[in-house]
Amino acid sequence: MSKLFPKSANKLPFQIIIYLGVLVCVATAGVTYYMTPKYTRVGYAPVQPVPFSHAKHVQEVGLDCRYCHSNVDKSAHSNVPTSQTCMNCHNQIKTTSPLLAPIRESAATGKAVPWVWIHKTPDYAYFNHSIHVNRGISCVECHGKINEMDVVTHMQPLSMAFCLECHRHPEAALRDPKDVFNLDSKRLADQGEAGVKQAKALVDNWKVKPPQSCSGCHR
Amino acid sequence: MKRIFEHPAPSERELNGPKYWRSLDELAATPGFVDQLKREFPQGAAELDGVDRRHFMKIMAASFALGGVGLAGCRRPELNILPFGKSVEGIIPGLPQYYATAMPLRKSAIPLLAETHQGRPTKLEGNPSYLPHGSASSLLAQASILDLYDPDRATAHTKGASVLTSAAVNELLANVGKNYAASQGAGLAFLADQSSSPTRARILKKLRRALPKAIWAEYEPVTDEPPLAAAQAAFGADVKPIYRFAQAKRILSLDADFFHAESGSLYYAREFAKGRRVTKATDPMNRLYVAESAFTLTGSMADHRLRLATSHMLALAAAIGGKALGTDILKPFTEGLEAFVSQKWVDECAQDLVDHKGESLVVAGAHLPPQVHAIAYAINALLGNIGKTIDFVAVEASSAATLSDLAGAVKTGAVKTLVILGGNPVYNAPVDLDWAKLQASVADVIRLGYAADETSALAGTNLASAHYLESWGDARTADGTVVPVQPMILPLFGGITQLEVLARIAGEANPDGYALVSETIAALAGGDAEKAMRRFLHDGLLEGSAFKKVPVSFDQRGAQVLFRDEPKKVEAFSLKNLEVRFVTDHKMDDGRFNNNGWLQECPDPITKISWDNAILVSPKLGKELGIAPQGSALQIARVEENDFSIGKENGRVYELTVGGRKIKGPLHIQPGLSNYTVVVPLGYGRVATGHVGKGAGFNAYPIRTVANQDVATGGTLVDTGTRLLLANTQEHWSMEGRDIVREANFDEYQKNPGYVDDIGTESHSPAIYGAQNTPTNDNKLSREDRAKLNATRAKDIPRGGSMYSTPKFDGQHQWGMSIDLNTCIGCNACVVACQAENNIPIVGKDQVMRGREMHWIRLDRYYSDGKAEGGAFGGEGNREIPEDPQVSLQPVACAQCELAPCEVVCPVNATVHDEEGLNTMAYNRCIGTRYCANNCPYKVRRFNFFDFNLRQLDSLYLGQLGPKGMPELVKMVKNPEVTVRMRGVMEKCTYCVQRIQNGKIQHKVAMAQAGRPGDVVVPDGTIKTACQQVCPVEAIEFGNIDDPTSKVSRAKALEQDYSLLGYLNIRPRTTYLGKLRNPNPKMPDYQALPLSRVEYNSKNHPPSDHGHGAHGHDSHAPAAPKTEKKHSVIDAGKTFGGLS
Repeated sequence: MSKLFPKSANKLPFQIIIYLGVLVCVATAGVTYYMTPKYTRVGYAPVQPVPFSHAKHVQEVGLDCRYCHSNVDKSAHSNVPTSQTCMNCHNQIKTTSPLLAPIRESAATGKAVPWVWIHKTPDYAYFNHSIHVNRGISCVECHGKINEMDVVTHMQPLSMAFCLECHRHPEAALRDPKDVFNLDSKRLADQGEAGVKQAKALVDNWKVKPPQSCSGCHR
Repeated sequence: MKRIFEHPAPSERELNGPKYWRSLDELAATPGFVDQLKREFPQGAAELDGVDRRHFMKIMAASFALGGVGLAGCRRPELNILPFGKSVEGIIPGLPQYYATAMPLRKSAIPLLAETHQGRPTKLEGNPSYLPHGSASSLLAQASILDLYDPDRATAHTKGASVLTSAAVNELLANVGKNYAASQGAGLAFLADQSSSPTRARILKKLRRALPKAIWAEYEPVTDEPPLAAAQAAFGADVKPIYRFAQAKRILSLDADFFHAESGSLYYAREFAKGRRVTKATDPMNRLYVAESAFTLTGSMADHRLRLATSHMLALAAAIGGKALGTDILKPFTEGLEAFVSQKWVDECAQDLVDHKGESLVVAGAHLPPQVHAIAYAINALLGNIGKTIDFVAVEASSAATLSDLAGAVKTGAVKTLVILGGNPVYNAPVDLDWAKLQASVADVIRLGYAADETSALAGTNLASAHYLESWGDARTADGTVVPVQPMILPLFGGITQLEVLARIAGEANPDGYALVSETIAALAGGDAEKAMRRFLHDGLLEGSAFKKVPVSFDQRGAQVLFRDEPKKVEAFSLKNLEVRFVTDHKMDDGRFNNNGWLQECPDPITKISWDNAILVSPKLGKELGIAPQGSALQIARVEENDFSIGKENGRVYELTVGGRKIKGPLHIQPGLSNYTVVVPLGYGRVATGHVGKGAGFNAYPIRTVANQDVATGGTLVDTGTRLLLANTQEHWSMEGRDIVREANFDEYQKNPGYVDDIGTESHSPAIYGAQNTPTNDNKLSREDRAKLNATRAKDIPRGGSMYSTPKFDGQHQWGMSIDLNTCIGCNACVVACQAENNIPIVGKDQVMRGREMHWIRLDRYYSDGKAEGGAFGGEGNREIPEDPQVSLQPVACAQCELAPCEVVCPVNATVHDEEGLNTMAYNRCIGTRYCANNCPYKVRRFNFFDFNLRQLDSLYLGQLGPKGMPELVKMVKNPEVTVRMRGVMEKCTYCVQRIQNGKIQHKVAMAQAGRPGDVVVPDGTIKTACQQVCPVEAIEFGNIDDPTSKVSRAKALEQDYSLLGYLNIRPRTTYLGKLRNPNPKMPDYQALPLSRVEYNSKNHPPSDHGHGAHGHDSHAPAAPKTEKKHSVIDAGKTFGGLS
């Protein structure tokens, strides 16, 4: 009887195992990299209907975050300003700029400017801005240095792991409450021993105890 | 991937209606958007330019091989944030706003606070500024918001087949006024529903001045206020009674369901509970005598309940009145009553009232004849109750014509134009008026209606009415306080209000709802008009506008006028001569809420039937008709076992004939009815209604005549031989002698406030908290100490040697709930409030019949007659359906067990505890094994068998083939704070975790801004669950049990606090306060022990068993059949399974 299989076939099972192993590793690595928020979200910088520059408005004009995001310390939602807010200044300066045409139109008609949503938590995660900014968590923790951005870019993964990291160790992320809206300020934990001490005191005195169980964020 | 959807072109109607849009592109219908609409994905998202599918597959295969995954596909779709163009005052995106408004119903209203999210009302609560109601509201008020988003509501004004623009409507209405100006209104008639609106009354006056010859008629199919004739005769004044139940120690209700059917029932229920609630042994407790033919919520709370035909109420009133007043004049009216009521019952009841002069109260049902009311007034007057337990307030007698008057005018051809405002006379007018025909005979009928219904089908012109949440208006509550009806949203479909219609006909060119109301309020309030109106809207009521109390004195002579007719002998009813009692349905009311899914699905509080009404008959009548359930069928009050189909109520359809007119409906055997009274709830069987109401129940109006609006006699029942399956949510009506609802008589409570601990299995099972910490020992502590002990245990407890690791309860609060079974009246308001708050879907009759209803909280209703056959678990249980049962009600929701049995069986940790003691559900983790529901002893977990939020109820079984998505309108009612669950996940009560979290956050934010950031514990009372907030009787307390001074801790420290199935060592956070009954030992139907206790004792402590004398309650055990069985502690633990 002639040989059905060539001799090289003896190696086949071994090869298959190797290939499969490699495939699994590659797939795992691929999924981990490409399908998690670290990849899918970070770096998202869509084109907005009006090329608004946070860097210009914060660093040159010197606006506080709360001038536009006026309800960030009151509500769950950090409001995007109404076109009327923009027009408070822009009815004086750059009144004819074509880039601002959508704003002027919106302020005149009352129709919304369709800003592209960048920092979006899933529908089943109920994030609340007011509790964070009122208790020592700065905008920069989740949004990055928005004050230096010309185009707003998604900086952090905003995944559940990201949230929990901070909820487990709040003292590492706390700022002095007066520095919350100062995006250039340092975390207390990064301010040497005194800072670490102050952060600890803050956690104790303010009874900072971020929820780590489901009901904290999911309803 | 590139399926092209051909969207149907929008109809004319849709184009004229309001538009919902998700983006500006959609609003503007840009070509790009229209193109995108046809695609499943936006252009470019699903295809590669210049590449065919084959090539694409090649590339994809290559890229997969390289370990890369389609990149674009992982990106999320582009979403927009759409801020207001112009800032809107007061709106903070993400925070709800609350506005005062009110739900008008007949001649009263319920003041409300509407919660709106960016202009979209989602939830209604009682307005706490209106003190008689507190923050409570009713079942109907809770559900009324769903009507606003009813996809079947009228969306356009129509004349014949053509759609009218709003300009055309204005012109049409103005022309009505102009055309009849010359004839002073002769030929014009109005038919309106009742209203308490002062503005409507004001415009009406103006209208009548302009058109004095026009007919103004008002019609409501049901009455909920006592007849004015009785008050006029008895007191010689136009007055109506306002009862002060809180002051009444002894209450007699003559067929009056003052918890539901009477006007002002919300206030009455609340006041009644104040006199019922007992927190210490020295507290007084009221006693309620009820004589009634149907079985109502009021009757279920009675300490002495007399089953008596409605037609016999006059005789009973006369008998009790005669005895209480010591007079013989009423004697002739009582003739024949002795066959139905023992003299002793009458005498002792009357004596008890007399013994409590100034503290007693007699209430007669609104549907009863004026004579009964006159007798009730006489008793109240002569016992000195007036001014104490009952006040009389001046009201205006209605000058409106009746429907019969109008029908007469139509018959003579005197009516050329008929304007029908609201109501639905074609459906609910007395049948002998033949209203449909009459209405059709009028040349020009203009109807203002909320939806296409029976009446609109016979009207030439149909105007779409605005919902009350879209309208400017006003109303009076039952006590006369003027409250605003304030719009929360612009009319979604351009609907108009009654006020606008009347004002236009009265000749106002451009009536503005706000201005109309403001004018009325300015006149009522005086002073600065603008200020008065602002205050009115802010408070939600006009201070001091209630009807004025007037002193009245009983005028015997005047009252005697009512009794001039020859007294009729008390008629005995029989199988061949049945009394038929028409009652307003708990949910449909008179039929106006027929298309409301929340109400249709909510089970009737007594029968527990949802989606249908039934002809209710007594067990005795059932037997005579040949329906005597036996064996296992007994428990579910149905027919023989082999008649069973999918385990649900298999109602026999009977034909009910009264006066030659017939209706057909399924029979339901209802314990507690007067033997030969047949009860038919109104409001079902609508022919022209929406998707929800279609096919639900049968219509009882066709046997209702002008003379017999509330009760008819001479009825007969004939079996049609057909069957109808009814969706009954509680088949099992007996507690089987278990300790589910723990009850005692008031005298026992006074001696032993901790009676609940002697009843349960806990008194037998090993101590859960250690040998010394039995409930009995705990009861020896002071209440303060007990509250402290509870607070300690909530956080740090010996876990009873559990083999499972348990969560640490180290949060800043520990949530707990206490439900007072003594005051719960079982009104079901909590069920629908929870549904509205927590986005709970309806599932439809078919799914309810499979036991798949989604309500997070349910009300269990048990009957007991003390006759459950004894023997320690060996007996047969109940052998007959009780004719005269006691009712025990119990709301059950997830009890948030500290050692939750559901958690240990979840394979994916989808249900776990949080640090504040909540048993949470992580929907995204849930894979739908349903193990948790199986392991839940309370059966409170609910599973989404289908995508109830995404699929139409009639096409659930089509799965993916069925139409997907809900109309935008339906989605608008959803609470944005709560996840909308999808198919395949489990859900259950969360203690309104969204309210807890928002409450905590708002408190912390406020404290941080106030400079007290360390103050993180929410003050007691800030966070209320939806069920707690709505509860008319304040039976539910919720709060932080870590704080021994909180209200809930104090409630839980009461001696009568017990855990349902507590012996399972699951440590529920929701505990119950035992129920008390306050029977009169002198009454013939006195029960020394509540009947459920009798059953409990006969099951668990047969007299032969002397081993348990230590518990002190065996002496109460009645003579139960002897049994050989002796039960041990272990037996007890084993046999007490979960709830059925």
